[in-house]
Amino acid sequence: MDGMTTMTEQNTMTHGVTAGLFENSERKRLRLADETIALEVQNLNLYYGDAQALKSISMKVAAKRVTAFIGPSGCGKSTLLRCFNRMNDLVDACRIDGRILLEGADIYERKVDVAELRRRVGMVFQKPNPFPKSIYENVAYGLRLQGVRDRKVLDEVVERSLRSAALWDEVKDRLHQNAFGLSGGQQQRLVIARAIAIEPEVILLDEPASALDPISTAKIEELIYELKEDYTILIVTHNMQQAARVSDYTAYMYLGEMIEYGDTMTLFTNPKKKATEDYITGRYG
Amino acid sequence: MTDAFITAPGKDGRSSDLTTLLPSGEKRARLRKWRYFKDGVSRYGVGAGGIGVVFALGLIFVYLFYEVFPLLVPADVSVESSYQLPGDADANTLFLTLERYQELGVRFSDRGIATFFETGDGRIRNQVAMPIPEGVAVTSFAHGEARQRLIAYGLSDGSAIVGRHAYDLSYPDDMRYIAPKVEFPLGDEPVMVDPQGRALTQIALQDGPQGYVIAALTEDNRLLMSRVRSTTNLFTGAVDVRRDSFQLPSPPGNTRQILVSGDHRSVFVADDLGQLHYYDISVPANARLADSGRVVPEGHQITAMDFLVGTLSIIVGGSDGSVSQWFLVRDEQNRHHLTLVREFEPHAAPITAIATELARKGFYVGDASGVLGIHYATSHRTLLKRHLTDGPIRGIGLSPVNRAMLIEDDSGRLLHMNLRNPHPQASLQALWGRVWYEGRSEKDYIWQSSGATDDFEPKFSLIPVTLGTLKAAFFAMLFATPLAIMGAIYTAYFMQRHLRTVVKPTVEIMEALPTVILGFLAGLWLAPFIESHLPAVFSILILMPLAMLVAGFAWTRMPMVVRQYVPLGMEILVLVPVILLVAWLSIAASPLVEVMFFDGSMRQWLTEVGITYDQRNALVVGIAMGFAVIPTIFSIAEDAVFNVPKHLTQGSLALGATPWQTVVGVVLPTASPGIFAAVMMGFGRAVGETMIVLMATGNSPVINFNIFEGMRTLSANIAVELTETAVGSTHYRILFFSALVLLILTFVVNTAAEIIRQRLRQRYSNL
Repeated sequence: MDGMTTMTEQNTMTHGVTAGLFENSERKRLRLADETIALEVQNLNLYYGDAQALKSISMKVAAKRVTAFIGPSGCGKSTLLRCFNRMNDLVDACRIDGRILLEGADIYERKVDVAELRRRVGMVFQKPNPFPKSIYENVAYGLRLQGVRDRKVLDEVVERSLRSAALWDEVKDRLHQNAFGLSGGQQQRLVIARAIAIEPEVILLDEPASALDPISTAKIEELIYELKEDYTILIVTHNMQQAARVSDYTAYMYLGEMIEYGDTMTLFTNPKKKATEDYITGRYG
Repeated sequence: MTDAFITAPGKDGRSSDLTTLLPSGEKRARLRKWRYFKDGVSRYGVGAGGIGVVFALGLIFVYLFYEVFPLLVPADVSVESSYQLPGDADANTLFLTLERYQELGVRFSDRGIATFFETGDGRIRNQVAMPIPEGVAVTSFAHGEARQRLIAYGLSDGSAIVGRHAYDLSYPDDMRYIAPKVEFPLGDEPVMVDPQGRALTQIALQDGPQGYVIAALTEDNRLLMSRVRSTTNLFTGAVDVRRDSFQLPSPPGNTRQILVSGDHRSVFVADDLGQLHYYDISVPANARLADSGRVVPEGHQITAMDFLVGTLSIIVGGSDGSVSQWFLVRDEQNRHHLTLVREFEPHAAPITAIATELARKGFYVGDASGVLGIHYATSHRTLLKRHLTDGPIRGIGLSPVNRAMLIEDDSGRLLHMNLRNPHPQASLQALWGRVWYEGRSEKDYIWQSSGATDDFEPKFSLIPVTLGTLKAAFFAMLFATPLAIMGAIYTAYFMQRHLRTVVKPTVEIMEALPTVILGFLAGLWLAPFIESHLPAVFSILILMPLAMLVAGFAWTRMPMVVRQYVPLGMEILVLVPVILLVAWLSIAASPLVEVMFFDGSMRQWLTEVGITYDQRNALVVGIAMGFAVIPTIFSIAEDAVFNVPKHLTQGSLALGATPWQTVVGVVLPTASPGIFAAVMMGFGRAVGETMIVLMATGNSPVINFNIFEGMRTLSANIAVELTETAVGSTHYRILFFSALVLLILTFVVNTAAEIIRQRLRQRYSNL
């Protein structure tokens, strides 16, 4: 009944759980300096019309690791994520300066083929968005875009992708039914399977579990853990537990600025900035 | 808890320490009542409005059906009165008929006496004896077409008397009084048919453009023909009669009846072996037996025979009870053959009497068992069959307006009958089937509701107008669908937001353009323009899309310096000069192309290669009606494309699809039900459209899909003819029926579109 009390309890709990996560883990501290760098952001500014949404962001993203972006609503973390596959291009009034290097090449160069960039940098959205097609066709869609017509190849990739997304056993008997028949969690894993079918290098996850129930969320998190073997993963999440559980590196953003960025364990257990600590312990706001 | 919430704040302990800012509980209770009232009023108001709309639509259906329903009412007869044969009772009746007020009947007997009697009770009003010379007997009788009211008696001295029963109207004491009489248009003296003076055993008579034609058979089997022209001197009243006589080849067998056609081109002779012989007398001096054929089955005889109005068709009744219609059909060698056109529902007993209607192609048949049959030729219907008397029906007399009839039974009594048979012309077969109309060489679908002559056979096939409707709609859709859908996709998916907010309402406003203006422009400007610039139409059709593609490609290759002058999303404006240039070039080059490739005129060239070209044709209609239909399709299709959820298009783009791949792979499949609904809506609009087709089609009800020929549509047909038809006539009701067809057509199309739209909405709500 008393809203205030509940809020505090939850936040304490969160802090407790994240803290507990690290106390019992055998995870070793990671150092960005030791990593292969997949993406590098250099002094990135983004404006929506006159409003500046991202303010001189610079960061390096480690390959085959999970990097989480946390921060309150409106802090620009989703906007930043969308910069990596140039989805912001679709927003009429959006203007960008600065550079993002994917394997050393600036993705905002004029001669970059945006479609090819998006193949290399896949994206999964907050709300599951399967196409109004069969499960099979959803997964095969990206391949067909790349000109794959061979049925055998398609079959193989569809199966492999669905297996990678831990969905194969649940849907193998109804591949040709409409994807809308799946549950929300299954749809989200289908969308992930669809994304990995075209063999991207980076996968962007924009709050992939926020519309899902706890069990589905757990499955997605397991999946993320497995996928980082092969892919560089960037995830935006509201859920700090989730960030703590799945990510290797975490960036805390606030009002379009990157306040603190470092390995997840350090950021959660020993944040350097007061703002970060306030946020992760729930004193923010 | 709930109660406390509803009644008032401040009463429970929760907020006692806070001063409530809400109005008092009493006030809120009053407000609640007021709110519920408004709620209820609006709910019932909206409900009533909705039901009212459905009700109004239902009423339209009900009204149309109400107007159409009489077509479905079957024919009926009822006995009004019966009485002894009036006057001259022991003589045989040769002919019975009624005058147009149905007040008087007339009976011609074989003693040469015409008895006019009141149809209600048989009281004799007048009796006229034919001027038959002393010592001469009546040997044969004939009647002309009912509307001519002509009769002829053939006499034993080889002469004939031609009479006409006529009625003088006067209004003493403001009451109608009919004074019947018999006129003798060829004078009181009998006309000599056989100069040899032998008795005329059969006679036939018809009045026509070349005067009276009498065909007669003498007792020594000579077939004679006389053409008699009479002129009455205006001053003296003297009748001057001129006569040509011819002898025809003698008919084989024993002749039972002769008929001569009103156009004086054919004589038909029935023998007693069931055969009908056709004489071509178009050149009387070269008259010849042109065709003979059996018209009743082997071993049976022709027992009754008469012309239908127009004297083109012959109705033959046989001793086997068969009833059939025959007329002359021309073959490839331009020869006419007696052809069986229809067989009607047969009677169980030999046919004894046939009477044909005065102005329609209907006829009444009596048989030897006392059964009356009402048939109609064109619609091939048997409307009624009823047992009226025991014993054979001796004679049938029909009123000119088909509301009363006289039946003579075997016991010397007359039955005066009320008759209701207003709409025999409509039948499923007549409206939708292939019908063999009089004088045509084969069955056909024809809409031709009225003609110049009284004996015209109305042709009510709805096939030409229905196909015309579909043809007009098809060509309009051919023009409109690609443009509207492409435009919708571009506007919804590619166009810059600002531009879209201008373009979409502009196109939608086009829908409000009065179609009469479009029709006017199409008929008076576009049709002649296209006719004189045919090559331009085709070159625009080919060059315009090509030019657009080339312009688009060239634009992408332009250096950035040039491109930055045009704001993002406004590139479409670059196309405007290209479009204008191509149109101007095509039109300007058109005369040159005609001179170089089509001998100066493409229209002429088309005619020479055998393609009919009407100035007002499907091409003109397709363009004009396409303009009317584009906004409908565009608006709905644009909504459908625009409403494809953004997360789907983004999902596709995020998978590395190009915008075009996204349109084809995700946007179009998802929006396809909406686009389909849009096309259906457009089709519904095109089907119902009236003014454009009325003004730009030429309105000829032809069946073809030639883009260079016109058509007549259901809607235009109603608009053209409803103002000219008699209220309550069959034609009038058939027009209402075609309105019903049109309404059902558009209703079905629009309902299907709406159902698909609803499904689509459901589908979107799942996304």
